[in-house]
Amino acid sequence: MADFFQNYALDGFYDEMFAAPDRPRPHYERLAARFAKMENMGELLARQQHADQTFLSRGVTFTVYSDDRGTEKIFPFDLIPRIIPAQEWSRLEAGLAQRMTALNSFLADIYGPQRILREGVIPREMVESSRNFRPEMVGFAVPHNLYVHINGTDLVRDEHGEYRVLEDNLRTPSGVSYVLENRQIMKRVFSRLIRDYRVRPVELYPNDLLALLLHLAPAHVPEPTVVLLTPGIYNSAYFEHAFLARQMGIEIVEGSDLVVENDRVYMRRTGGLAPVHVIYRRIDDDFLDPTVFREDSLLGVPGLVRAYRAGNVALCNPIGTGVADDKAMYYYVPHMIRFYLGQEPILPNVETYLSSHPVDLKFILDNLPRLVVKSVNEAGGYGMLVGPHAARAQIEEFRGKITANPRNFIAQPTLGLSRCPAVCGDSIEGRHIDLRPYILNGETVKIMPGGLTRVALRKGSLVVNSSQGGGSKDTWVLSAGAVPAQAQGPEKIIV
Amino acid sequence: MLSRVANLVYWMARYLERAENTARIVDVNAALVLDLQSRRDADDPKSWESLLYVSGGEELFGRLYDEVSERTVVEFMLFERRNPGSIFSCISQARENARCIRDQIASEVWEHINTFYLKLRDDDYARYAQLGPFEYLSRIKTQSQLLYGIAESMLPRNHAWWFFELGRFLERADNVSRILDVKYFMLLPALDAVGSALDIIQWASVLRSCSGFEAFRKSRRGQLNLERVVDYLMLDDAFPRSIYFSVREAEHALAQITAEIPHVAENAATTLVAELRAELEQLVVREVIASGLHEYLDHIQAKVAEVHEAVQNVFITYPTAGAYKW
Repeated sequence: MADFFQNYALDGFYDEMFAAPDRPRPHYERLAARFAKMENMGELLARQQHADQTFLSRGVTFTVYSDDRGTEKIFPFDLIPRIIPAQEWSRLEAGLAQRMTALNSFLADIYGPQRILREGVIPREMVESSRNFRPEMVGFAVPHNLYVHINGTDLVRDEHGEYRVLEDNLRTPSGVSYVLENRQIMKRVFSRLIRDYRVRPVELYPNDLLALLLHLAPAHVPEPTVVLLTPGIYNSAYFEHAFLARQMGIEIVEGSDLVVENDRVYMRRTGGLAPVHVIYRRIDDDFLDPTVFREDSLLGVPGLVRAYRAGNVALCNPIGTGVADDKAMYYYVPHMIRFYLGQEPILPNVETYLSSHPVDLKFILDNLPRLVVKSVNEAGGYGMLVGPHAARAQIEEFRGKITANPRNFIAQPTLGLSRCPAVCGDSIEGRHIDLRPYILNGETVKIMPGGLTRVALRKGSLVVNSSQGGGSKDTWVLSAGAVPAQAQGPEKIIV
Repeated sequence: MLSRVANLVYWMARYLERAENTARIVDVNAALVLDLQSRRDADDPKSWESLLYVSGGEELFGRLYDEVSERTVVEFMLFERRNPGSIFSCISQARENARCIRDQIASEVWEHINTFYLKLRDDDYARYAQLGPFEYLSRIKTQSQLLYGIAESMLPRNHAWWFFELGRFLERADNVSRILDVKYFMLLPALDAVGSALDIIQWASVLRSCSGFEAFRKSRRGQLNLERVVDYLMLDDAFPRSIYFSVREAEHALAQITAEIPHVAENAATTLVAELRAELEQLVVREVIASGLHEYLDHIQAKVAEVHEAVQNVFITYPTAGAYKW
């Protein structure tokens, strides 16, 4: 019998597994009992090794830019699942659906009548100065009134265990392939536990995504062709692009495979040009069409935007969604929920200061060492100042940047992100985590029961991005009524 | 299938075949040199220089190296990163192509190419010298044969497979003509040696480098001589490394490809490859040798290049204006 958690410290953070030292939360009791049955740490490490090996041989990797060989690395995977009880999940689901609906209304509005600007709820210049606002799309009515189809909303839990929205990812959110692969591995390593816990399946995601893409096709096409547009093999998410295309049974194409003739999109096949009706694009607006956006883009397709405007091809996500996941616009999402839906937000934001507001700006500049400052247009943990961990010189550097360009920054208090036990070397320690669920907005709003739990594997680190030393965990959303009970017989490791 | 993907498969096959044949070309030369050394200085660089002409890399070699020796030529042809025709570069390109289409080929195929590449990445001339040319090159050949074995038993016979076959056999037709040419270059200084014991040993080496020695013995029963060996490697209709066999296989692959896309049934590539096949069927080896074998081998390489161009124009880079639309 092993007690892996003997020296486990909570350090004052909200812990997903333990309510107090030695007292697991009810939905983790079964897991704790299961772990207690293991012989020793060696057994757990053997399982961890088995998982790592499987990832390597399946080629579940991402590409590292800094490495001149363009090496593929495994996204580190931690065996200890993050468990979410049913009622907790249904609240998250309601909050995420509410947010998705409000964001869709917002995009429909600013690319349409702009009521929210005219009524002064959001300052016009905030929208128009956003790098991701596409004035070209104002007045263009998208199919089915769906202005955004896929959102990966990042959630965190604060010191009190309260879920808060950290940011929305409305352009090309990635990571869902890891969710599916993580579950495949966990099914091999902890099959019994998954069954006993009645974990809700995530495997329907590719079906749901394909159904959404088909729903977007121009109405007159009886058998629409859907493709996935990738920037190519050197993109860090290429594994995911190939994975999703394979799961959905659609072609994965690069910009050079597509041509536009008479405002129709075709792909170049060995036997001639074949029409394309829906493009699940994994490249940013900027690179889509060199005749409209960046001229130097080699990834895109000349004429694509015209074909899109002519209604001959659907794009997922549509053009211009980025304006709503701008970090400054994030501040206004609760306002959008009240304005469009007449509801209070179910999931609160993280407290946020806008440096474009004079009052907030003064507060930010006075409190830099205590705040996290984010550049509004950067993703992946780049362009960020974590005040409490920053050197004085870095703080001063940001002070200069913020003063020079207030529109470009927001600040938030440092959060004591919740922690979850993780295998660290040969012991188990608490590590900070977040959660990215995937929300599909098609005929209805569909949310995969689960999501990508990212874990900051470096001790004390709050940054969960894979580019910054983060890893991931499987996320177990439990079925209603899956009450914790004593774990049953021992599981055999499948090797 | 997407033109880009077809092209990746096609080139992957060409690179793999080229790597294997480069190993064969170096192999036959190493064997010929051994035979020559009875009457020449062991270090005569001339005996390695011919490889550069045959592979078409003499210019690049001249820019990269100061002197011609076994060491520099072998380094250039096997390991040189800056030589796009080196075995390393070919395998590395084939792997890159395989990586792009990993979702379309069996994972065993990808894993084997990847392993092949990773092994080769750590090899260098010292490793080659340590094992000796025959052992080292036979390992390279085995790796690529293994890959073909895996591919044959794993890949569905669809469009992708036929582009793989097309690339592989066009490349082979070209490369076998170059292997024959190596012997021609070696013979240049000593045409009077034709028919000598040495000559016979050398032709046996050429056959062995194409794994054709035993097959030749079984098929012809006759004595080894220039005419019979050239006839065998160029025109035999059963030996899978003969030029004729390769051209016929390429023609077959093209027919399989166009079977699925009937509107291109008549195209320049099919016409050219059929012409080349018909030409070979009419060929009288004695006449070819009399009027210049080297020139004729050049002619075959040019014909194969024309087929390649046509394949590109018909299936891959065709102009979109006026292209067939599904």
